[in-house]
Formats: sequence, C-alpha cells, structure tokens
Amino acid sequence: MATITQLENGIVLITLAGELDNHEANQIRAEVSTAIFTGKTRAIIWDLYRLAFMDSAGIGLILGRMRDLAPVNGETLILNPSPTMEKIFQFSGLGDAIRKCTVEEAIDEIGGVVHEK
Amino acid sequence: MKNELTLSFLAIEENEALARMAMTCFITPLDPTLEEISEFKTIVSEAVTNAIIHGYECDGKSLVTIHATIEDRVVKMTVTDEGMGIFDVEQAMEPMFTTKPQMERSGMGFTIMESFSDGIRVDSTLGNGTIVTFEKSFSPVTEVSRMR
Repeated sequence: MATITQLENGIVLITLAGELDNHEANQIRAEVSTAIFTGKTRAIIWDLYRLAFMDSAGIGLILGRMRDLAPVNGETLILNPSPTMEKIFQFSGLGDAIRKCTVEEAIDEIGGVVHEK
Repeated sequence: MKNELTLSFLAIEENEALARMAMTCFITPLDPTLEEISEFKTIVSEAVTNAIIHGYECDGKSLVTIHATIEDRVVKMTVTDEGMGIFDVEQAMEPMFTTKPQMERSGMGFTIMESFSDGIRVDSTLGNGTIVTFEKSFSPVTEVSRMR
C-alpha cells in the first residue's frame, strides 16, 4: 500500500506499507506515477518505515520514478529501510539515496538544495 | 532437525506472497533471526517471481513447484518451472540485466539471490523450463536468544 502526500516545493512523500513485491508494485505504479506527473514534482521521499518486506520489484519501482524525474534533475531520498532492504539498495547502486534521518530533516535537505540554486 | 516440503501453485502474481508465507513458516522451527527470515523471504520471492513472470509469463494455468528440505540448520530449496527457459543463464545472472525493462524489472533478482544464499545453481533448457537450486545455512541459536 502506498500513501502519497504532495508537499510544498514540489516534494512528494510516498509512505509504503505492507509487502512490496512484483504484484504490489504493479498495483501501485500507476497511482504513484500519476501523483508525480500532477504538479511540478522535483523530489520524491520514499518512507519505508511501515514496509515489512521488499524485493527487487521495489528497486524497479523506485528506479522507474527516478527516470520520471530525470528530465527535471529530480531528487530521490529513501528513509527507514530495514537492514535487508538496505543491502538490496546497496547492491542496486541506490545506497547513496538512503538517509538516516526523519521525514522533516529530509524535506529540509531538499529545500536547502533549492535555496542554494 | 529434519523436514521436507513440496508446494505447487499456479503461475499468478498473487502467489508470490503465498510462497513467501509458506516458506517462512517452513523455516520457523529453526528459530532464525529477523534478518535471516527477511533474506530468506527475499530469495523465495525473487525465484518464484522469475518463474511466474519469466518462465510462464503469468499464464495462470501452469504450476511452479518449490521443493525444500531442512537438515540440521541447512535449508536446501529448488524452485522449478516447466516454462520457456532462459536463453543465456550467464547473461541473466548479470546485475541489472533484464529481458523485461518495460515491466520495470530491475534485473537484480539473481544478484540478490546469490548474495542472500550460500550457494545458487541455475539449470535451464530453452522450451523446457528452469530449476533454481539454493542452499542457506542458519546461524546457531545462542543461549541468550533461547532465553528470550
């Protein structure tokens, strides 16, 4: 299950819950994509705090949305992965997107980048 | 301990969760750590998803079969489909390689299975199907965790 919140400054917060496998990714992909293309999204924060399980389908889903944001040089941050999920992100080259911080701090980080520009 | 299981189910995506759940129950008597459970679940999920969406292209009528044994603290498992087979196993096992980029498959399945298991073998024949064989050892249960 995905809870999608449009925040100010073109930030979309996606909170995932339950088990993210191929089946679930196919269920939520359209909803997530629609939210990103509505408004001027320039950053996505994935909060995995409530996600109990994720396999490589989660990588596909997140990489796909990074591609959606590529034309605007959008940012992707991943919060609260479990140790196993963190390993999967590392294998897939997404380790740099992981932040050990709260949602508020992640929003601050992205906001900070805007001010620098 | 010693145990053995055979589980067959239709090639539909909904059964990815069923396979994970059943196999998690199967290894529970080993008293695995949370991380061991979650790595094992991921292996099962990757292998079964491959069989369903690549082997059978979600045909909804063919069967995927898991066979697993527990001997002491070692789990051996095969995931078998009689589907289309893999054209080039070596290439399929390369990180980021996928034949289904349009489905946003990441191509990380085999890399994850290799990393989270203690050994993986892939036998595949074009037109006849694929057998993926794993082994995973579970850490000994310590006295401290026994007392919890």
